[in-house]
Amino acid sequence: MAQTLYDWLDTRLKLQPLGHTLLDEPIPGGASWIYVFGSATLFLFCLQATTGMFLALYYVPSPDSAYDTVQFIQHDVTFGWFVRGLHHWGASAVMVAIGLHLLQVYLYGAYKRPHELMWMVGVGLLLLMLTFGFTGYLLPWDQNAYWATQVGTNMVASVPLVGDVLVRLLRGGETLGALTLSRFFALHTLFLPALIVGGILLHLFILRRVGPAGPWNVEEARQRNETFYPRQVYMDAVVMVGIFLALVALAGTIEFPLADRADPADHTFTPIPEWYFLFFYQLLKYMSGPLEPLATWILPIVFVIGLLLLPFLDRNQDRRPRSRPVAVLTGVFFLVIMFTLLGISIRDLRAMPKLDPSVARGKALFAQHHCLTCHTLHGEGGKVGPDLSYVGNRRPDREWHIRHLRDPASVSPGSIMPKFPLSDREINDLAGYLLTLKGGSAPPPVTTSEVDYIASRSAPAACRSLVCVDQNHWKGYL
Amino acid sequence: MTLQGTPLDETPVLSTPVGPRRRFFAWVTTVAMGIIGIGLAIPLIGYVVGPALKRREALWNEIGPIDRLRTGEPEEVEFVNSVKDGWRQATVKKVVWAIKQSADTVVVFSPICPHLGCGYRWDGDEKKFKCPCHGSVYAVTGKVLAGPAPRPLDVLPSKVEQGRLWVKYQQFKSGLDHPVEL
Repeated sequence: MAQTLYDWLDTRLKLQPLGHTLLDEPIPGGASWIYVFGSATLFLFCLQATTGMFLALYYVPSPDSAYDTVQFIQHDVTFGWFVRGLHHWGASAVMVAIGLHLLQVYLYGAYKRPHELMWMVGVGLLLLMLTFGFTGYLLPWDQNAYWATQVGTNMVASVPLVGDVLVRLLRGGETLGALTLSRFFALHTLFLPALIVGGILLHLFILRRVGPAGPWNVEEARQRNETFYPRQVYMDAVVMVGIFLALVALAGTIEFPLADRADPADHTFTPIPEWYFLFFYQLLKYMSGPLEPLATWILPIVFVIGLLLLPFLDRNQDRRPRSRPVAVLTGVFFLVIMFTLLGISIRDLRAMPKLDPSVARGKALFAQHHCLTCHTLHGEGGKVGPDLSYVGNRRPDREWHIRHLRDPASVSPGSIMPKFPLSDREINDLAGYLLTLKGGSAPPPVTTSEVDYIASRSAPAACRSLVCVDQNHWKGYL
Repeated sequence: MTLQGTPLDETPVLSTPVGPRRRFFAWVTTVAMGIIGIGLAIPLIGYVVGPALKRREALWNEIGPIDRLRTGEPEEVEFVNSVKDGWRQATVKKVVWAIKQSADTVVVFSPICPHLGCGYRWDGDEKKFKCPCHGSVYAVTGKVLAGPAPRPLDVLPSKVEQGRLWVKYQQFKSGLDHPVEL
């Protein structure tokens, strides 16, 4: 069947020579597991493109909707958690793949003549991928996205002379807002893909014109040549399916959480960049004051230029690592510095007091259901329900909160608080958050019950303000 | 497929696995690509069709006190309909025809003509519902009196609680001889 179809197409499209050109490309020295990183990167890029296109079906790049649409994808759309998980973990995996690909090319001296152009295009692709990571990070419009991008764009502002203009161009104005989000979205989904597809095609075109570099031992390369198909294709395919299954496992087991909705007024939030920017983030901590411009723009620019010009700086034609001590030691030195900084950064982040994820979810539910319309929290909010500022001191019993949230009237007879349609897990998260609302020195427990409290308010006024809250939550309760 | 490679100047031997070895590599490649293909296709199809196939749940909407309605006289009543539209909760103004039968029973008609979906009107002089598009005429009970209408006016679920009228807003396919909810 497949053979018949192939023959039919072959007689019309002359596929045989095409297949020969694509698949029988000689691999100097034979197929090797060492050569899989390039195709792994390409595979991951295609996976990111695919999942990204599907995410765009439901995502809306506006500060009003972005967070809601990501929540919708994660919780309401069939397999939405899977597509988002794959895109998130794929983004990390593509950075790992690029890192390994770069390392292998560096170690093998594969950037040397005649591969200089291929290397330079590769460096361009690396920068594009980092821009993908940076622009994509803002899109969920949660606290982490907002504040990390705030820091990232501020670094651009420190570039002398043009910094102010650059940062305005990047943000679409003075502050990070709707225009920033829409331009980051357009960059991430339209401009960068167009650029990178061109770059990838150029990278592969050069590869086919000059051929792969092969093993560093020239004799070994000269002795044996092997066709790309079937053995190298088989190795690439095995690695691809391994990566795919690992990403599926990650997407299925570790939900990448959304932080709270972006809140420009909340200055207490400590943003954390993606792990592949962490070493740089750590470096910035050591370079404060007059040294800051060095870290924010001088070092990155020098590094990028150095990387681009590497084939011209390293003029030694021998590719064996043993004959290139300077290059190898420079590479090792860079890796040691990078991983040390990454390690310190991860250690510091672990030591930071962290909000229990369940409590964080409870806090998000509290905001999502507009609890502050009726309840007060540290002076802010409505006066219909009891002040919850120190409810954790007053009611330290989780079971009470759970019963109360499930059916307020069951523990506070006559309570006008509605039964919210929450799942058991959500009730538990919300109760967990309420229990954290404690004062340092516990104020005395309030003696009046909630019923008395509500009775002391005029009921009609309470009801009126309830109705105006949010038609949907209250529909059917009144 | 045998290899008829052109000899390359600097490369003396171009080898390629043959026989069972070649078939094994091809087989593994096919299986690996199949796993990735199916592993992506199933969730992605579900991702696309999931929300498309999900039925919107019609909610009860409160219309107002029924003593404002006159018995036997159709009344066009407005209300705010709240529906979940993807990730957002949308509120839209809707209109239905309500005809009070007795102190506590009300019949509510969808405002859409079952023929091709135009809005029809109540002719107070002739005591008939008339659709301006294709001339369908209905009795106050919803029965078809004339015109191309294939079925009587569509009745919406309604209830009266404590003197207030509630309705569930539904839409039906046009042109069929029996109501089928959209």
